[in-house]
Amino acid sequence: MDLIANLATGFGVALTPANLGFCLLGALIGTLVGVLPGIAPITTIAILLPFTFSLPPTSSLIMLAGIFYGAQYGGSTTAILVNVPGESSAIVTCLDGHQMAKQGRAGPALAIAAIASFVAGTIATLVIATASVPMSWLALKFNAAEYFSLMVLGLTGAVVLAAGAPEKAVAMVLVGLLLGLVGIDVNTGTPRMTMDIAELGDGIGFVPIAIGLFGIAELAVTLGRPRDHSLLSFKLSNLWPSWAEIRQCIPAMLRGTVLGSVLGVLPGGGAALSSFAAYALEKKWSRHPERFGRGAIEGVAAPEAANNAGAQTSFIPLLTLGIPGNAIMALMVGAMMIQGVQPGPQVMTAQPQLFWGVIASMWLGNLMLIVLNLPMIGLWVSLLRVPYRLMFPAIVLFCCIGTYSVGNTVFDIWAMLLFGVLGVFFYKVGAEPAPFILGFILGPLMEENFRRAMYLSRGDPLVFIERPISAVLLLMSLALLVILVLPAVKKKREEVFQE
Amino acid sequence: MTLRVNVPDLAFAAFLVALGAFAFALASNLSVGTAAAMGPGYVPRGLAGIIMVYGVVLGLRAAFTGRQAFPGIAWRPLLLITAAVALFAILLPRAGLALTSLAVVICSGFAAYDVRLRENALLAVALAIFAVLLFVTVLGLPIPVWPQ
Repeated sequence: MDLIANLATGFGVALTPANLGFCLLGALIGTLVGVLPGIAPITTIAILLPFTFSLPPTSSLIMLAGIFYGAQYGGSTTAILVNVPGESSAIVTCLDGHQMAKQGRAGPALAIAAIASFVAGTIATLVIATASVPMSWLALKFNAAEYFSLMVLGLTGAVVLAAGAPEKAVAMVLVGLLLGLVGIDVNTGTPRMTMDIAELGDGIGFVPIAIGLFGIAELAVTLGRPRDHSLLSFKLSNLWPSWAEIRQCIPAMLRGTVLGSVLGVLPGGGAALSSFAAYALEKKWSRHPERFGRGAIEGVAAPEAANNAGAQTSFIPLLTLGIPGNAIMALMVGAMMIQGVQPGPQVMTAQPQLFWGVIASMWLGNLMLIVLNLPMIGLWVSLLRVPYRLMFPAIVLFCCIGTYSVGNTVFDIWAMLLFGVLGVFFYKVGAEPAPFILGFILGPLMEENFRRAMYLSRGDPLVFIERPISAVLLLMSLALLVILVLPAVKKKREEVFQE
Repeated sequence: MTLRVNVPDLAFAAFLVALGAFAFALASNLSVGTAAAMGPGYVPRGLAGIIMVYGVVLGLRAAFTGRQAFPGIAWRPLLLITAAVALFAILLPRAGLALTSLAVVICSGFAAYDVRLRENALLAVALAIFAVLLFVTVLGLPIPVWPQ
């Protein structure tokens, strides 16, 4: 069995003491930022990115991945106890989780959230391991035209699933694509739009942009908002749910896992979308939908399973096709490229150690999270009592040092500052930064494949619809856009994001 | 004040037009080439043009639909955090990491409406020591610690 041999390779890599340590570190940092509202996992990954450059590529990806799924665990703790989502994918967990906490069932709610995450994480790891191989075979058939169309689909997905107005998300993608082109043109060696600034020769730095938009801008906006958290006191003694409750949750967990795994793979998908969809599905499925919103334990289990499954399967397009499906995966692409690993289908065959090591580490990380987190919930809760005014100056400082350390130049600090201010502007006009960062990462790749496809077809743009796989991908993008403008769907979409 | 336009949308549209025009001007000296053999300017100019047109369309729509004021900006956090980052860029090459960290933390601390003087000063000292130990001693980043 290839699968077993592959996983064995992976565990061989992931179980080395150093990699276990980085996996644990990532999972713990992830949980920490998941617990703390106002620090999103994407911000954390952006800030920590520069510090992982000195690590071997495998270790750095293991750690960054740990931050992402660790945050899914941590986010639910804050949602249940404080009724504030620690991060966006835990928004629906607030609905029933906090109601359970108010009824004195905080312990079982926390436990079921952790168990559901673990079950989903285990299944999702297997899904990644089995789905990746055929996916990368498919990808090896891809030509420039297919790659271009695939990226169109990815960006369309990001637009459709962005939280704000879709027409602004389109604009943000375009702006991202444009800024991604700044720097020396790979085909001709001509500097483009660099204003003769030497530092722009390699393009606008990815790290200053990411930290500016997701770190500095986020802080400035968050600090301007009034904060009011009332922490529920609860006893740790009654942590375990009853068997009846666990039995009740098993089908919900499995449905959530399946839904999350599928939605995670879709372009633009990921953790937050999966949890919304899973909650809606449970409510429809239940014979007593009126229980939802009043402390239904399935209402915690299903979205928690879904967000963890979605978080993990969103690595599939990245690892097999080299195409990031959401903004966090775009950061991962940045991390891989700076490490000298070109993301794409060749990673699996050329660097099986890295590929399977990262996958195996996901399951180990999930195991660590459930073993460590349930006993440590008391510690995490006490962190919630630390006032924000003591945390954010540290974040500002780390943002600066992190950005500076990439190239040891203050030019990057000024770039970060510019994008921080721009980020505040984007926030105020209701334009999401996530489609921008996707466009920025994909810009050079898209241009390269566009140019190559057009060169091979001698300037005939029909090549994109004459090749069948490319045509299907473009049709799918078109279908997504059509769905988006249908009035019925538009209304439904607004309702979903309202909640 | 009565508004007839959607100000946030209009502002965003203006941003798009300005950015598109700026990029178009920067790319104007790049050769475009042909569709079969694109020059370095083909895609940048194309994108810049699309962004400008898109901005104009969004702007026209914003001018005729909806009335919405620009949301209020919390100036204190924005200005102080901006200032703290600028301080870092200016001070670091001259004063070294230890003193720069102090200044950045103290400055950004005042971005919070509930800042407490003594607490902020203690935090600054603690974070400066932590930053030097973590980034220079442990991680070995090539950053000067003291003024040179």
